[in-house]
Amino acid sequence: PGPFRPSRRDQPDPSASERELHEGGEYRAVAVGEPSPEFAGNAVRTAKYSALTFLPRNLFEQFRRLSYVYFLAITVLNQLPQVAVFGRGASVLPLAFVLFVTAVKDAYEDIRRHRSDRRENNRLAAVLAPQTAGEYLPKKWKHIRVGDVVRVASNETLPADMVLLATSDPTGLAHVQTVNLDGETNLKTRYAKQETQLSFSHDGHVAGMLHCERPNRNIYGFQANLEIDGKRVSLGPSNIVLRGCELKNTTWAIGVVVYAGKETKVMLNNSGPPSKRSRLETQLNRETVILSIMLIGMCITASVLAGIWLLNHQRELEFTQFFREKDYTTGKNYNYYGIGMQIFVTFLMAVIVYQVIIPISLYISMELVRLGQAYFMGADNDLYDESSRSRFQCRALNINEDLGQIKYVFSDKTGTLTENKMEFMCASIHGVDYSSGKPACGSSVVVDDLLWTPKMAVRTDPQLLKLLNNDSSNEEAKLVLEFFLALAACNTIVPLVLDTRDPKQKLIDYQGESPDEQALAYAAASYGIVLVERTSGYVVIDVLGDRQRFDILGLHEFDSDRKRMSVIVGCPDKTVKLYVKGADSSMFGIINKSLELDNVRATEAHLHKYSSLGLRTLVVGMRELSQPEFEEWQLAYEKASTAVLGRGNLLRSIAANVECNIHILGASGIEDKLQDGVPEAIESLRQAGMKVWILTGDKQETAISIGYSCKLLTNDMTQIVINNNSKESCKRSLEEALARTKEHRVASSIGSPYPVLASESSGTVLALIVDGNSLVYILETELQEELFKVATECSVVLCCRVAPLQKAGIVALIKNRTDDMTLAIGDGANDVSMIQMADVGVGINGQEGGQAVMASDFSMGQFRFLVPLLLVHGHWNYQRMGYMILYNFYKNATFVLVLFWYVLYTSFTLTTAITEWSSLLYTVLYTSLPTIVVGILDKDLSKSTLLAYPKLYGSGQRNEKYNLNLFVLNMLEALWQSLVVFYIPYFAYRQSTIGMSSLGDLWALASVIVVNMQLAMDIIRWNWIIHVFVWGTIAATVICLFVIDSIWVLPGYGAIYHIMGQGLFWLLLLIIVVTAMVPHFAIKAFSEHFVPSDIQIGREIEKFEALNQVLSVDSYYQ
Amino acid sequence: HSCPMVLRIAELTSFGAGASASTHQPNSKFTQQELPACKPILTPKWVISVFLLVGVIFVPIGVASLLASNKVVEIVDRYDDACVPSNVTNKLAYIQNSTISKTCRRTLKVPKDMKQPIFVYYQLNNFYQNHRRYVKSRNDQQLRDASKANETTLCDPEKTRDGMAIVPCGLIAWSTFNDTYTFQHNTNNLSIDKTDISWKSDRDHKFGSDVFPKNFQKGPLIGGKTLNESIPLSEQEDLIVWMRTAALPTFRKLYGRIYVDLKENDTITVTLDNNYNTYSFDGKKSLVLSTSTWLGGKNDFLGLAYLTVGGLCFFLAFAFTLLYLIKPRKLGDNNYLSWNRNSAGH
Repeated sequence: PGPFRPSRRDQPDPSASERELHEGGEYRAVAVGEPSPEFAGNAVRTAKYSALTFLPRNLFEQFRRLSYVYFLAITVLNQLPQVAVFGRGASVLPLAFVLFVTAVKDAYEDIRRHRSDRRENNRLAAVLAPQTAGEYLPKKWKHIRVGDVVRVASNETLPADMVLLATSDPTGLAHVQTVNLDGETNLKTRYAKQETQLSFSHDGHVAGMLHCERPNRNIYGFQANLEIDGKRVSLGPSNIVLRGCELKNTTWAIGVVVYAGKETKVMLNNSGPPSKRSRLETQLNRETVILSIMLIGMCITASVLAGIWLLNHQRELEFTQFFREKDYTTGKNYNYYGIGMQIFVTFLMAVIVYQVIIPISLYISMELVRLGQAYFMGADNDLYDESSRSRFQCRALNINEDLGQIKYVFSDKTGTLTENKMEFMCASIHGVDYSSGKPACGSSVVVDDLLWTPKMAVRTDPQLLKLLNNDSSNEEAKLVLEFFLALAACNTIVPLVLDTRDPKQKLIDYQGESPDEQALAYAAASYGIVLVERTSGYVVIDVLGDRQRFDILGLHEFDSDRKRMSVIVGCPDKTVKLYVKGADSSMFGIINKSLELDNVRATEAHLHKYSSLGLRTLVVGMRELSQPEFEEWQLAYEKASTAVLGRGNLLRSIAANVECNIHILGASGIEDKLQDGVPEAIESLRQAGMKVWILTGDKQETAISIGYSCKLLTNDMTQIVINNNSKESCKRSLEEALARTKEHRVASSIGSPYPVLASESSGTVLALIVDGNSLVYILETELQEELFKVATECSVVLCCRVAPLQKAGIVALIKNRTDDMTLAIGDGANDVSMIQMADVGVGINGQEGGQAVMASDFSMGQFRFLVPLLLVHGHWNYQRMGYMILYNFYKNATFVLVLFWYVLYTSFTLTTAITEWSSLLYTVLYTSLPTIVVGILDKDLSKSTLLAYPKLYGSGQRNEKYNLNLFVLNMLEALWQSLVVFYIPYFAYRQSTIGMSSLGDLWALASVIVVNMQLAMDIIRWNWIIHVFVWGTIAATVICLFVIDSIWVLPGYGAIYHIMGQGLFWLLLLIIVVTAMVPHFAIKAFSEHFVPSDIQIGREIEKFEALNQVLSVDSYYQ
Repeated sequence: HSCPMVLRIAELTSFGAGASASTHQPNSKFTQQELPACKPILTPKWVISVFLLVGVIFVPIGVASLLASNKVVEIVDRYDDACVPSNVTNKLAYIQNSTISKTCRRTLKVPKDMKQPIFVYYQLNNFYQNHRRYVKSRNDQQLRDASKANETTLCDPEKTRDGMAIVPCGLIAWSTFNDTYTFQHNTNNLSIDKTDISWKSDRDHKFGSDVFPKNFQKGPLIGGKTLNESIPLSEQEDLIVWMRTAALPTFRKLYGRIYVDLKENDTITVTLDNNYNTYSFDGKKSLVLSTSTWLGGKNDFLGLAYLTVGGLCFFLAFAFTLLYLIKPRKLGDNNYLSWNRNSAGH
């Protein structure tokens, strides 16, 4: 657990659970066909409450939040008879209101969950009835148990995690779609083991004992073995189908349930979304502390003054009519316990009266506002990806406003900047470069009089085609053939045969998890080596019109340590061959260099050429295995693959043993196309003052070329490359780099008085390129600091060949050393750690599966959406939220101060002239709704302006909408307005017959109008919804005041009718509102005009440019 | 507990589930946040007009208010000190001694002509009718409903007398003001109308016409007025007026009206019973005779406030205009954007 470890979240980490299995060493045994009650049943329960437990549990859940406890404490305090400020009924109102709203929301959600649970649990599945010979009876999902054998038909959803036993496909193949699980829409292939498939087709049932690992969250891993007919068969991730997946393109499949109900992988992965706190919310704590100090200050003032008053009037208390210490029926003092106690009680009462100054309701408002903002972000057409039909999703609901303050963007390359749709471009075979591709019609194969055509054709090199077709005896042609055989066989692609409109034609669709492999398989097909069929035991390849069967004797899967994969193939000519493909770095380490130096050199040169073109390269190699070699390998392989524990490591070491002395066949170059609009998006982001860093696992050359093609790098930049193999050399290059940045800074600071970034002010711009090897020596050592210094001076940073954890480390490098907000965007599992580490994580719904999305805070379809997301929605969210928080502080402070001034005229006894109902409704109804609506709907600038002037984004980066100065300004305004609201009526009604309730009504109404006018003055766009809420709220306040004063049992009965009948009331209301608003209006007018902010200019441009355009259009038509 | 969370968030945010289900993307002006909207900008023209407008409206209102206030004729006579014989040293003992007659005679001179109706108020200073202890010490149910006579909650410390509920209970009723005034105008008796001094709504709905005082003012300490037990509360207007508690520690309450025009330099003789104890807490008592206008009683504050604010707005309009002439700025000019300004700087 170093700094790389994502600290805040508890996310499923696939490697962690794998490790667990190796160490934990426990497994469960399942007898096939014998339902076992000892494991969890298949009923799922996502609902939290039942009708009985709802009240207690929901209350418990709610009171786990600190703000509710604060509410509760205040309410409880108010129930003490000595301290009671509000009547019992009124005091419970705010708490009850909040609890009620939340409870209704929770209940509604829970009812929906109950309903979906019931629907899920009562679905039917065909389950093998015990003690019958192959009879499948419908059974409700909730009654399915571990050990049951279930039969699933095409397009049905799987009821539990099952190990496949047999399928309609004679080879045991089944296809599943895992969209519900990880969002991937492509089909995945799963296999039933040959042993079970055969056993099933012989006697219609399978018996055996299955040992599998204990339930865990790893969707991509599974280890088990099956004892059948005295044989041990190993099972892996490709043999299990998971609950929630759908069976596709397979008539039926039969499997044995191994994990059910809450132990299924999908349920275990159903964890809460990441919880992050937004920057604003953290800053808000500082202001809350200030307000708490104010609160305590006011309470102390009130209670001390009350004490002094009592001290001065101590001897008069008995006969003073308005105090009368004694209760003569008992002869004792009533409710008076001496000055000390009185001060204490007053203090507590003051806390109750003034607690509103800490706006607890703000937290609820913020949640509602974020919900609304999330809705609008999700509904925005500019964030809707037509091609994948995916919408923008807010997965974390509490960091919307952080999107407006980003300074660093860390982007993955593959699948994020690029489409991750690979296209085979060129090949180097045995040192010869074939890269003059011509569009070809592709080749087809004839199967049973039907024409099977691969779905995609690749551009082919005519020379290569000629070589293949004409002369097969040639040595060179043989190598070329081997090369394409390797491409067709050494993968995990499954060819699916699809019907077309023409009954004589079929399409071959290569389905697979790696787009690179798909591209390679299509390439091989275009050259006439067509992969036609794949089962777990063999592949059928049509080699230039001749269908041949190759046995797949073993397959070493790709892993990120080896960076290569290999298959061991039994060829039709009885030879056994090992085909390997992998990244060049890993491949050149295992080749037989002594034999063919020229070939290697030429290939290396070609690889360099390809990668500088921005192509992804793979090196392909092979070796013929001798019989003893093969047998030795086979023994080890079988042993390893039936092991339950530590299988991964065993297999890796076997692979490493056999993958050696490889003969290089050639290399391939695959184009990874940039997504639409990426260069423009990056340009916009940089304009907006964000630094874009690319972190990629690709080679340095590929990374640089992508850097050029997405306009991140330009020719006038000075590149600083750090690419070293030892700590000392890293240190040296960092020092050199630092010296260079200093030169730049000196050179630039002569001309400019501002401390501008060295790289931006001078003519040349610095770009830093670091590779993963060097990062090993830099990250987590003292060199980090140097790297940070260099990197922050450069305007472009490219990191290549970085491992997933290094990505997180780089993000941490910035995050831990600056206050700047970081955003990480990626699409693959390798980006998860980076996404979790950054302040804001964005996942791309791409080709590489759903792990990045699952770990992200926001997910969307395309990289370019980052621009509207940050520049438009981020800006809006930040400005709205910042304003809303300040406004909430201000409005509550205004009200509390009005209450406070009155206390000075009640001999400090905390009487409120405003009725208790109005004081409680003030936060709940009189002022809350407009701020929420404005927080959701108001826009300072239109989308088009924000996109046209990306630099406007800087307002968020500079904290312009929420900072201590603004807070102080708001508090001063609150002070002024409270003085106006209180003292104008005070002086007007001094020495008059005015009653408490009447004056209280005036104060209440005036505060509400003033506070809402302040909001109205700051609203930028008035649409009808905002009109309705602002004016409606004032109207609602008046109605409430009338209603309260129509209740005869309250002392204020009739007061508002009475006071509103006087001219003085209306004149006072007018002068209060105007006087209170004059400073705000004047400050606004003067500052907007004489020290305009960028946003102000933007608004003017927006308003008057449009006007000018209209004018010019008018004149055009005239 | 974390399980359902993800479902909830997904339900709330995706509004129609994941990628596959969202075939229909809502597309309206509302969802795209493009509702037609008015976006006012404070252009100099607007700023100056607003300031001028406020000034233009406020100054006349201020003048009118001041004129109205000046028209009011008000006689204030503080009598609490004067009505205690000068030889009394312990005023508290004097006022508490019920055996001494406390009749007191005051002569008032009318400074200006006073048109009827002339309002008669008593004014108390330093009397905290808004004291928390005091203001709560009442029971409105008991006041209205004869059947709730025993309802005395909140009335502490004036709830019961010998175990019997006091009607009306509580400190407020107990302390009802009990000085009385009779007026003579140039030796003629000046009749004072004491009806309709309270709010009609209070008489009709708040104080019951079948609720009669009981056990009232029977305790060892007399707080104020004694009520006639044969008159229902709804007709005890002094009590009703008193129970509309004043907002501020210096307050007036209506005592009655005089429907006679008074001439300048007339003398009015007031015979008053100085019963009410304000001596225990340094309270002041005054008798006030005042005419009234559309604005109410005498109060220069409102007029001055209107004039001040109006004047300030004129000043701000002037200041803004001046500044604008010195430093004009074209609206919506790109050159004022911070990044353009900086680059122009060097």
